[in-house]
Amino acid sequence: MTLGDLVARHQIVISAGSGGVGKTTVAASLALWGALEGRRAVVLTIDPARRLASSLGLASLGSGERDIPAEHFRAQGLAPKGTLAAMMLDQKGAWDALVERHAPPEARDRILTNRFYQHLSQSFAGSYEYMAIEQLCALAESGRYDLIVVDTPPTRHALDFLEAPRRIADFLDRKIIKWFVRPYFSAGWSALRAMNRTAGFLLRRLEQATGIAALAEISDFFSNMSGLFENFQTRIDRAHEILRAPGTAFVLVSSPEEQVLGDAEYLSSKMAALRMPLKGVVLNRVHAEFRPARRGRGRDEIGPEEVEQVADLVAQIVGAPEARELAANFVDYQALARGESLRIEQFRAGLPRGVPVVHVPNFARDVHDLASLAGMHAHLFGVRAAA
Amino acid sequence: MLGAMLDRRLHFVVGKGGVGKTTVAAALARLLARRGRRTLAIEVDDARRLSALLGASGTTGTPTVVAPGLSVVAIEGRAALEEYLGLIIPVKRLLATIFSSRIYQYFVAAAPGLKELMTVGKIWYETTRQERGRPLWDAVVVDAPATGHSVQYLRMPQAARDTFGAGLVQREAAKVVELLRDPRTTAVHLVTLAEEMPVAETLETHAELVGSLAMPVGSVIVNRVHHRRFSPAALAALREAARRVGAEERALVRAVCERAAEESGWSEINAAYLTRLRAAIRDVPIVELPFLFVEEFDRGEVDRLSGELETASPGRAAVSALRP
Repeated sequence: MTLGDLVARHQIVISAGSGGVGKTTVAASLALWGALEGRRAVVLTIDPARRLASSLGLASLGSGERDIPAEHFRAQGLAPKGTLAAMMLDQKGAWDALVERHAPPEARDRILTNRFYQHLSQSFAGSYEYMAIEQLCALAESGRYDLIVVDTPPTRHALDFLEAPRRIADFLDRKIIKWFVRPYFSAGWSALRAMNRTAGFLLRRLEQATGIAALAEISDFFSNMSGLFENFQTRIDRAHEILRAPGTAFVLVSSPEEQVLGDAEYLSSKMAALRMPLKGVVLNRVHAEFRPARRGRGRDEIGPEEVEQVADLVAQIVGAPEARELAANFVDYQALARGESLRIEQFRAGLPRGVPVVHVPNFARDVHDLASLAGMHAHLFGVRAAA
Repeated sequence: MLGAMLDRRLHFVVGKGGVGKTTVAAALARLLARRGRRTLAIEVDDARRLSALLGASGTTGTPTVVAPGLSVVAIEGRAALEEYLGLIIPVKRLLATIFSSRIYQYFVAAAPGLKELMTVGKIWYETTRQERGRPLWDAVVVDAPATGHSVQYLRMPQAARDTFGAGLVQREAAKVVELLRDPRTTAVHLVTLAEEMPVAETLETHAELVGSLAMPVGSVIVNRVHHRRFSPAALAALREAARRVGAEERALVRAVCERAAEESGWSEINAAYLTRLRAAIRDVPIVELPFLFVEEFDRGEVDRLSGELETASPGRAAVSALRP
C-alpha cells in the first residue's frame, strides 16, 4: 500500500508526532492532495506558522471552518477537483471554549471568573488535545467533508493526544470531585473527619499549608465543574469510537534525528496498545545520501576519506579554493545522511509490516503557500496530483 | 559576552521541542563545570537525555556526580510533592498512610499546576541549599520541559503566590518568585533556530518573560546555524560541467552541486531570521552555535558546542563551520 492509497481509503487522517517535525505542513499537504483529487477536504490545524495560516485563509484567529476560494488555487496554478477548507484551533482559549460550550449560563460566569481557574486553566492536562478531538467529532458528524485531516498538538510524546479523553475523564470524574466538594457542601468538615480520619487529617494539613481561602475556591471550582459534563462519558465513548473506526488512519510524522525517532518508536508501540494502529509514516527533513552506481562489488559509499578525490574532481571545473569548500560541504552532508539512513533502517525494522514509509527531503526553504504544499506531493505520493 | 552572565547561579534553558534545548543545556553545564564552578544539571519529569549527554548511566532524585564539579539530578513533580509534604508532616508512618490514601491520589491527579509548582520549588531548594554556611552549588542549569507552553513552569510560583491565601505555600511561593526575578541570581536562556516558527515563538516568549513574568533573560542561543555560501557562478559552472563528464562522475558532480545549493539556501534563511531576531531583541546577547555535521550526536559534540559557547560573542559567527 502507498500513502496515496492510505489517504484515498480513509475519511479521517490524524497526523501525529513530536513538536518541530513539520506535522502541520504535512497535514496541510495531505488535505490539499485530497482536494486536488476531488474530495471535500478539511484540515484542522493547531498552531500553524503565520504565513502558512494566511495561505490557508486563516490570517486571523477565529472559530469555524474557512473555505479556500478557487481563485487562491488558480493564482498558484492549481485546479482542484474537490474543495479545501481549513480550521484553526485556538490553543490558549481551549478550556474557555470547553466551559462555554458545556456550562449552563449561571455556572459559566462563576467558573470563568474563579481566580483558581483563571490562573491555572492554561495548565490543565490535555485540554487542547481534548478540544481537538471534540472538534474532530463535530466535523465528522457534520457530514460536510469526506476527508478530515487533523494536525495534533505539539506535545513531547504525542501520546497525550491519544490519552486526552481518558485524562480529562479522570480529571472530571464525579467521584473525585465529590471528595473536594463534600467538605464544604453536603457533609461538612466534621462529618468528613469522623468518616475518614486520614482524609480529614490531610485536608486539615493542606488547609494549614495553603490557606483556607484557596481550598474554598478550589472546592467551589470543582463543584461548578461537576454539573457541566452530564454527557461527558457519552462524548468520550464517541471520540474513542471515531479514533478507532476503520475509516480513521494515524500517520506518524518524524524527522530522522535520533531522539525524535526514539519518541516516534515509543509512540508507535503505544498506539498499538491503545488500539489506534499506525497506518503510515512520513519521515520529514531527510538528507539524501549519494551512493555511486559502480560496477562490481566495490564500496558503494562516499565518506570523509574521499574528500580529496571529490575536491580534485570539482577543481577541474571551478577554482581550487572553492572546490575544496564544495567538497568539504558535500562530505559533511554525506556524514549527516549516512547517520540518518542507519537510524531510519533501524526504525523501519521495528514498524508493523505493510506500513508505508515515505521520505520528504529537507527543503532549504519555508513551505508556506499552496504551491509549495503541492510541491511536497511528489515526495509524499510519488506523483503529483492529477490536476 | 556571556562572561558576566555565567556568574549567575540559576540558569533556565527554555525552548520548544526540536530546537536542541537539551543539548544546549548540557553544553552550558559542561562549560560552567570546566570553569571550576560546582555545577548541578537538572532534568525535569521523565526526560533522560540530559543525563545521557552528560555521561550519566541514570539519574535519581539525589544529585549524582558525573564529572569533576558536575552533578546531575532528576526532578519529578510527584516525588517533589511527597518530599515537601515530608517536611510539613515529619511522621513517616502517617505519611505512608497518606500517600496510599485515595484522596491523596485524587488530589495529586486533579490539582492543576501542583506538580509544576513543586518542581520549581525543588529547583529553588537546590539553588539556595547551603552547606557549612555557603551555597552548595555555584551554578544550577535547568533543562526546562518542552511540553506545552515553554514558560508554563516558570509561571506557577507566581500563580500560586497570587492564588493562595496567607499560608505556608503562599509565603514560599513568594520567596521562589523573588529568586526567579532576581537578575543577580537568575538567567533564562532562550534556545531557538533561525527559522520562521522558532523565531516567532522565541519573540513571544521573550516578551512574556520581560513582561508579565518579569524574569531576567540571559541570552538567546541560536542553534544549528549554517554559514557556508557558494557563488551562483560556481554552481552554474558545476551544473554545466555535469553535462560534459562521464556518467559515473556526472551523478557525483550533480550531488556536490545539490548539497552546495542546499547549504547556501539554509545559510540565507538563517541569516534572514538572525537579522529579524537581532532587530527585535536588543537587550540581551544573541549567541550563534554552528550546525554540526555528524553521523551521530554524542558527548563529543556537546563538548564542541560547550567550547563554542565559551568563545561565542554576539554579532559574529561563533566559529567557521569550515574549520576542520
